[in-house]
Amino acid sequence: MPAALRIAGKDLKLRARDRSVFIIGIGAPLLLAFIFDLIFGGAFGAGGLTLEYGLVDEDRSEVSSAFSSVLDDLQDQQILTIQTFPDTDSARSAVEDGDLDAFFLIEAGFGQEVAIGSPQIGVVGDIDAPTATQIAGAIADQFSTGVEATKLAILTTAGVAGVPPTPEFITSLEGDPSSAAFTFQLTDESAATRQLDSTTYYAVGMAIFFMFFTVQFGVIGLLEEEREGTLTRLFAAPISRWSVVLGKAILSFALGFVSMSVLVIATSLLMGADWGPPLGVILLVLAAVAAGTGLMGMVASFARTPEGAGNLGAIIAVTLGLLGGVFFPLGQGEDLLSKLSLITPHAWFIRGLSDIAGGAAWTAAIPSTLALLGFAMVTGTLGWMLMRRRLRR
Amino acid sequence: MPEVLIATDLAKRFGDLVAVDGVSFSIGEGETFGLLGPNGAGKTTSISMIVGLLERDGGTVEIDGEQISTRSTRGKASIGLVPQDLAIYPDLTATENLRFFGRLYGLDSNTLDTRVDEVLDVIGLSDRAGDLTKEFSGGMKRRLNIGIGLLHRPRLLILDEPTVGVDPQSRNAILESVESLSGEGMAVLYTTHYMEEAERLCDRVAIIDEGRIKAEGSRRELVSLVGQKDRVSITGDVTDAVGSVSSIPGVSEVSAGDHRLDILINDAGSILPELLARVTSSGGNITGVEIVEPNLEAVFLHLTGKALRD
Repeated sequence: MPAALRIAGKDLKLRARDRSVFIIGIGAPLLLAFIFDLIFGGAFGAGGLTLEYGLVDEDRSEVSSAFSSVLDDLQDQQILTIQTFPDTDSARSAVEDGDLDAFFLIEAGFGQEVAIGSPQIGVVGDIDAPTATQIAGAIADQFSTGVEATKLAILTTAGVAGVPPTPEFITSLEGDPSSAAFTFQLTDESAATRQLDSTTYYAVGMAIFFMFFTVQFGVIGLLEEEREGTLTRLFAAPISRWSVVLGKAILSFALGFVSMSVLVIATSLLMGADWGPPLGVILLVLAAVAAGTGLMGMVASFARTPEGAGNLGAIIAVTLGLLGGVFFPLGQGEDLLSKLSLITPHAWFIRGLSDIAGGAAWTAAIPSTLALLGFAMVTGTLGWMLMRRRLRR
Repeated sequence: MPEVLIATDLAKRFGDLVAVDGVSFSIGEGETFGLLGPNGAGKTTSISMIVGLLERDGGTVEIDGEQISTRSTRGKASIGLVPQDLAIYPDLTATENLRFFGRLYGLDSNTLDTRVDEVLDVIGLSDRAGDLTKEFSGGMKRRLNIGIGLLHRPRLLILDEPTVGVDPQSRNAILESVESLSGEGMAVLYTTHYMEEAERLCDRVAIIDEGRIKAEGSRRELVSLVGQKDRVSITGDVTDAVGSVSSIPGVSEVSAGDHRLDILINDAGSILPELLARVTSSGGNITGVEIVEPNLEAVFLHLTGKALRD
């Protein structure tokens, strides 16, 4: 058996006796994923949030009726429930009693105001249901935007035709302009927008987050050998120095892979997480563990003591974890945070799993896998070079 | 006696500090060679270069015909190293420590089983073989530290101050173990700053200070190098024997005191029988004899102008 494997085997025995590797590698991430899912699952989950709304229509115009029918459609699609209230007070009471998350208020004159201004639909929400209230606000805003767009389209068409925008002219246009404006397109965009369900999200987040701590057990072992004096004996043995370093890297990789594999299986069986096609998951896990091993190896090569490496590694793991969105989902748009997140292996890992979670083929994981392997190459090479300088002494 | 280790012109600098400067020596099969010097003299640095732990700035090391460097692996199999600091895994048992390092030195399963048992017996840890070494006393850890170096039957065993911080009982056990090694044909390089250890164990000693070897040879050769003589003190009614004793060849000085004769002599061991016979034939009544041989401490003082110290 090659010396590197013997060294990795010896370290594995030591770590198994230490037991902390099981706590950090499996126990803590499993527990935290479960807790995070309990806390945030409803807010971010696709099916966990119930939206209970009311509607107060003081306007009773054609336009307000259109909004009402939009809400009815959403109710038919089981996205929300809607109750109609005769006045604001009764709706407000229902909100205060916790029977509603929020209600829409269409004030009298809303329909008339459409022609001359930019009317808004009011939303009154329960302070204890901020997410549901925000969603209600978004629905109201989208309706108002649609009204504005329709108004602009009619005025432009009338202007081009050289006629005033009379009701007769409007009805002469093909179709019903108001209903066209108020149509909501509700489609399942989970694959297109790369969204994991909350349970899977936190399982994935905690797995990658704690993996960086788990792989540390291997690479820090080199510094522990140095401190304990056993590195002297290893270097005096008839083996290559690099087999010692390689042994540590092998252990790091093995611990990281086993830890993540156990978490994939455990969260799937115990929490119902859906990681996606196995081949894609395996690719991403292998690449992520390689990236983690490379990064933590580089960190260890900077440190002077095992404790120093542990502290530095923890700071980097937490920072990258936050930035990479393991605790809170980050958008994947053009904002600065989204762009910054791409410097972390965490974000690429989550992105890769999101890519394959929506029913896509395992090949959808390839771009993220390549990005993670890129991390592994760069950090691993840097760590190797730094460690080489150090071990030459 | 075939030479196992040939170290030639070893040199090492750390920045402006010259740690080792032109150190050369050789050790033959079955010979115990001592490097005697104070802390910081260059002993451990020299050993680190010999073992291939440290890159040399100059010089060569040959062990059993193999050149040694930091990159070489073949020649290192001939070396057993017992580092100054403990180099064992506290969370492995004594057996596991031995087996792990034995595997790294290429021992096969059968040989390993046999050697582990033998070594545990030699170092007196057979009854604690299955215990984690973190539960061992300091002396037991030291003995295991030595055992790992012996496991693969090296041609050259290097012990770097193996008795530092060891209780007297364990220290004696370690010295007895080392004494038995040269009898097995093993070349031993022993570094120490304890003069009495060098005198007890070593066939030859090199006195090293400030990175340079000041003198090298057997204890007697070193002592004679600086003109030191043995002192024999005879007590009793012996003062009348002054004249008779003074005429013995090899006796350089005789002084009489109160019921006591002090005699300076080149080699007390060979002359002592005649010395005692002369005193007795002169009518003397001997109640006690004490021989004080000049030691390496005195030699070191003479060569370096300072005392060996911790």
